[in-house]
Amino acid sequence: MFALLRDLRTLRRTVDLPAPGRGRSLAIRHVDAGSCNGCEHELTLTSSPYCDLARFGIGVVASPRHADVLLVTGAVTARMREPLLTAYAAMPEPRRVVALGDCALGCDMLGTPYDLVGPVDSLLPVDLRIPGCPPTPDEIAAALVEFLDAKPSRVSGGQPAA
Amino acid sequence: MTVETLRLADRLGQCQETSADAYRQHLAEAAAAGWRFAGTHVSADRDQVRTLMVAPGGETRFHSAPINAGTAPSIVDLIPAATWDEREASELQGVCFSGHEPLRPMINHGPLAEWTVPVHGGDVHQVAVGPIHAGIIESGHFRFHLVGDRILHLDARLFYKHRGLERAAEGADLTAASAYIARACAACSVSNGLAYAHAWEQALGLVPSPELARTRTILLELERTWNLLNDLAAVCAGAGMAAGNHHFAALTERARRLNAALTGHRFLTGSVRVGGSDLIADLAAVRAAREEIETLRGAAARGWRAITFNSTFDDRMVSTGVITAEQARRMGTVGPAARAVGIAADARTTDARLAYEGFQPVVVERAAGDVKARVEQRALELWQSLDLLDRLLDRPLVSAEAEPGEGSGGLGGEIGVGIVESPRGATSCVVERASATDNLARVGRVRLRTASFANWPAVVAAATGDVLVDFPLINKSFELCYACVDR
Repeated sequence: MFALLRDLRTLRRTVDLPAPGRGRSLAIRHVDAGSCNGCEHELTLTSSPYCDLARFGIGVVASPRHADVLLVTGAVTARMREPLLTAYAAMPEPRRVVALGDCALGCDMLGTPYDLVGPVDSLLPVDLRIPGCPPTPDEIAAALVEFLDAKPSRVSGGQPAA
Repeated sequence: MTVETLRLADRLGQCQETSADAYRQHLAEAAAAGWRFAGTHVSADRDQVRTLMVAPGGETRFHSAPINAGTAPSIVDLIPAATWDEREASELQGVCFSGHEPLRPMINHGPLAEWTVPVHGGDVHQVAVGPIHAGIIESGHFRFHLVGDRILHLDARLFYKHRGLERAAEGADLTAASAYIARACAACSVSNGLAYAHAWEQALGLVPSPELARTRTILLELERTWNLLNDLAAVCAGAGMAAGNHHFAALTERARRLNAALTGHRFLTGSVRVGGSDLIADLAAVRAAREEIETLRGAAARGWRAITFNSTFDDRMVSTGVITAEQARRMGTVGPAARAVGIAADARTTDARLAYEGFQPVVVERAAGDVKARVEQRALELWQSLDLLDRLLDRPLVSAEAEPGEGSGGLGGEIGVGIVESPRGATSCVVERASATDNLARVGRVRLRTASFANWPAVVAAATGDVLVDFPLINKSFELCYACVDR
């Protein structure tokens, strides 16, 4: 085990991202609304040692009740419509929606009209779009860090800012 | 290399059953003779059900039975592996299977009582998990029936991500339809794409040239390599072992970068097409890939030693999530999960369309069918894949075409089958042409039966009797896709 940890220490983060160390964070809840599994695999690797999104205070939380951001992958299927809306409804405000990948953005969605509802923005207000089929972990990380930097904190003293 | 062309008129004709009894009897005989079930689907004309059987030597045969007044004979009492196939056909094609009782809905989600197995008793309680899970996981629902912490029964309800890809592909020509197959699953894009390409090439009477077979074999083994590295990372995560998880996650990232360097896409998507390959790599690119393969091998071996000799990790895996060889045979379990109970079946052994001459499947020495056996099996297969890649990446990749096979006369048939060993086991694809005289080669019906589809019942069986907290680990030891089940 120590050999593994020593190995991990020698790995260098290869992704070109701004320096970490900001006084804020993003708690993300991921919902797969009907993806091909590609976005999930790439999103998972944003926590690999090469990218290590956690050092920016960006992490995936288990419940939408703990989340700032709902990150949605895939064109929304008929059978995922209700679970997606339920997760969004469970989030505290202020809340943000990120659409990840071309399907979620409505590009080249494949399937029957009966089984697909449409892109994420046909159901929810989308604040950030990350294109790609699928976007690489580097691209996802860069977009999320930029999003974190661009958004001034909307919460002060426990109340949403005016 | 000889690859037979499957013609509905001759090869299929002899298995064209006239009655439900003959269909059932011949299937029972085939199963008793060691033929493996590889899928039941409804024909393009919606008037037949066809069951695909595969001989130990790789020969394929369809048994078809007529659908009378919307009803076809069920075979689940003879071949339990057909359960999900019949349930799927009953909902997507509206066929009733007489004798399949109860025929529970699987794709269209109704009230709880319709799709769960009734479990009674004073101390039984249910735990509902999903479709949205706590991590970065695909969508699917699990309904656990528990006594205390112990899983008495599990109902898996998938198909939340059903996109109707196969139906949407109907009527499209073979190139346009391949986009639907590619979108079924990113993690298995080469396996699924190859099964589809092989099916069409069989229907059209085409045989891959040796260079085409080599390029495709490299792609398939690259896909297996990153998947196996990802599986090892996932099983470490399932046991809460962060160091192992991060080590293998870093290797997964390297493997995907290798894919991108060689093919331009991290998931190798778009590198398989029906009838040929346009992938080109010069000597420098191939050499660089081979060097990276060696680096991956060394780093993976170091990681493997570290997690193998970790006793707390070992404790979690031993005797957890057991399936027996008898269960695996009944359920039609394929791939590393089946080999981990000692079933040495591997579609690569008999694959005449790919460059696997002399391939022998490996089986883990301690084939106990538990999480540990499945994890050890994956490590063995990883070394095997890296060896194959090292051998095959010995010269540049050139564009190559499939050629008309001997005796096919270029006429082609109405139906084709492709069977490919994906990282999770044998995946089969059946293509029925809309019309055999159609120059465009349009899809009348396509059915993709992936290894994940075949193996989900095994996850349920493995979880039964274990404690709830071990389920993530058991699930990760199979590491099945939801996307290529739901389609």
